[in-house]
Amino acid sequence: MAREYLHMAAFVSYGEALALGLASGPACLAACGPVLIPSLLTERTGFRPHARYLSAFLAARLVGYMLFAVVAWELGALASMLPAPRLLMMGVVYLLLACVLLWYAYSARRSCAQPCADSKLVQIGESRNRGVAGAAALGLLTGLNLCPPFVVAGIRAAQLGSMAAALVFFLVFFLGTSIWFVPFVGLGCIVRNQAIITVARMAMVLIALYYLLIGIAMLLGKKTYGY
Amino acid sequence: MATNARTLTLTRPAPRGILRSLLLTLPILIWSPLMLLFSPGSSTKPVWLISSAITALFMTALFFMMMRTHSTYHWRRIFFVSLGILFPIEFIHNLFVMRGSMGIPIEEMIAGRTPFCFMPIPLLILPAAFTRTLVFPGSIIGGIAAMVGLWLALTLVMGKGWCSYACFFGGIEEGVAAIPPRAKIRKLDPRWRYVPWAVLLAMVLLSLAIFEPAYCMWLCPFKAVTEYVAARSTIGLIQNVIFILLFAGLVIALPFLTKKRTQCAWFCPFGAFQSIFNKISIFEMRIDKERCKPCLVCQNACPNLSLSKESIARGETLLSCMKCGACVDACPRQAVVWHIKGTQIAWKPERARLMFLYAAWAMAIMFGGTIIAQGIATILHFVV
Repeated sequence: MAREYLHMAAFVSYGEALALGLASGPACLAACGPVLIPSLLTERTGFRPHARYLSAFLAARLVGYMLFAVVAWELGALASMLPAPRLLMMGVVYLLLACVLLWYAYSARRSCAQPCADSKLVQIGESRNRGVAGAAALGLLTGLNLCPPFVVAGIRAAQLGSMAAALVFFLVFFLGTSIWFVPFVGLGCIVRNQAIITVARMAMVLIALYYLLIGIAMLLGKKTYGY
Repeated sequence: MATNARTLTLTRPAPRGILRSLLLTLPILIWSPLMLLFSPGSSTKPVWLISSAITALFMTALFFMMMRTHSTYHWRRIFFVSLGILFPIEFIHNLFVMRGSMGIPIEEMIAGRTPFCFMPIPLLILPAAFTRTLVFPGSIIGGIAAMVGLWLALTLVMGKGWCSYACFFGGIEEGVAAIPPRAKIRKLDPRWRYVPWAVLLAMVLLSLAIFEPAYCMWLCPFKAVTEYVAARSTIGLIQNVIFILLFAGLVIALPFLTKKRTQCAWFCPFGAFQSIFNKISIFEMRIDKERCKPCLVCQNACPNLSLSKESIARGETLLSCMKCGACVDACPRQAVVWHIKGTQIAWKPERARLMFLYAAWAMAIMFGGTIIAQGIATILHFVV
């Protein structure tokens, strides 16, 4: 009887995680969009580079979720609810995001939009490593971004019986949100030329400047909304 | 014989006769007073009637000169600069009457009383599609719906012609660009043309992420001469400093140094968005490759950097063309022509020009003319 009850409770809480993930997917997409879309646009045309980029991004995002799950369970709901540490963490995440985006925009200057870029000789090291490392860094940082659905998931995970349960909760939540990211592979259909890559790089710089400003403001404890 | 006919058309056409020009102006002569007297902001007060009459005469006279001289850019610019100067006068006056300040307090935003301009239109699309919410603190019925409806109707016909005949911001920099006799900075990196697309991409994505019109909050240079966020915090202060710096740089200093509309060509995300509609509009500029030398006079004349050597070689303008007519007027060989898609290039270009100008000028009177009349009424209110 107790075993059945435990099964039922697990089913309900993981179902809740999946529902929360699916429902908050658009919010996650909106939060990750400024980071994900311009960086994806600097990749080469084709589904494979995009699938590889997204896999690295999502895998690192999962690591971010898991890290947060551990912290949430260890410290309880406090970590996600107290405004001061939350602001501090958000500020640091924004600053790191800005740095990675600026580095990404700079390193994408050598992206080759021409078919010659497929050649192994041209691709030695540079682009592929940048893509995976950059995607992983951006995925990890967006994974730690404390958006409202993520905080809700953190509070719920902190109420579970064990750290393993909290980790599974976040894993299921992650799967629910990740479904919304799959269509981004479709950006591979857009034929790249130098104009698109330049626009994407410039957009990354603008977004990075915004994150930099907001990050500094958060670290200084300034209001960033409400004026 | 055919060669002779070709050679003859290379000379600039003689001015039209006064009677013929008047006949061509007749529709505008009728349209102007009707539009101004029955526009939404009209009244029967003497000040409004006088300002409407002045505006109607002004718009009709400019159109008459366009017909008589075959020239478009010069006369359009007079209208456009007037619009650019009179819009802030009227708008700021209204702000002071309504709320006593140019700063919008947060309470006004929450109450949905922020005036809506066309700039945030592309920023509203994704949040509206995802959440069925408009991320602008304005009234839908009182302003947003009317502006979006008007913009859509005019854009489908004119494409990016909006930026030369309706935008109430571009006139300031066009006026500044007209001041110096020649450009001090001539060599302009063509990669700057990509910036408006980057601003558009960044602002659309950020607007969805932070759920507010990011461009209006952070980057609009024209906040400096219209309305700004009431700076009650450090962030508000930083935003206002950004607005002023962008205005001083892109709308005053760079147009003066380059004789180009630098804010439009190098920054405006709405202009980039509007460029897409040039694909839909039936009107465009084309270059008759048989006549073109190419001497690049058109490229130098273009205020929006919408011509490049490559595009001239292809016989077309870039996607960002605002259909202002500067290239057509500048070409010494009549190689740049107004064109209706689906017809042969250089097939009755004056007919294409007339069709475009009737549509564009009717729009200019309806939208810009009303603003000019309100600006004149504001000045009369102070003077008389």
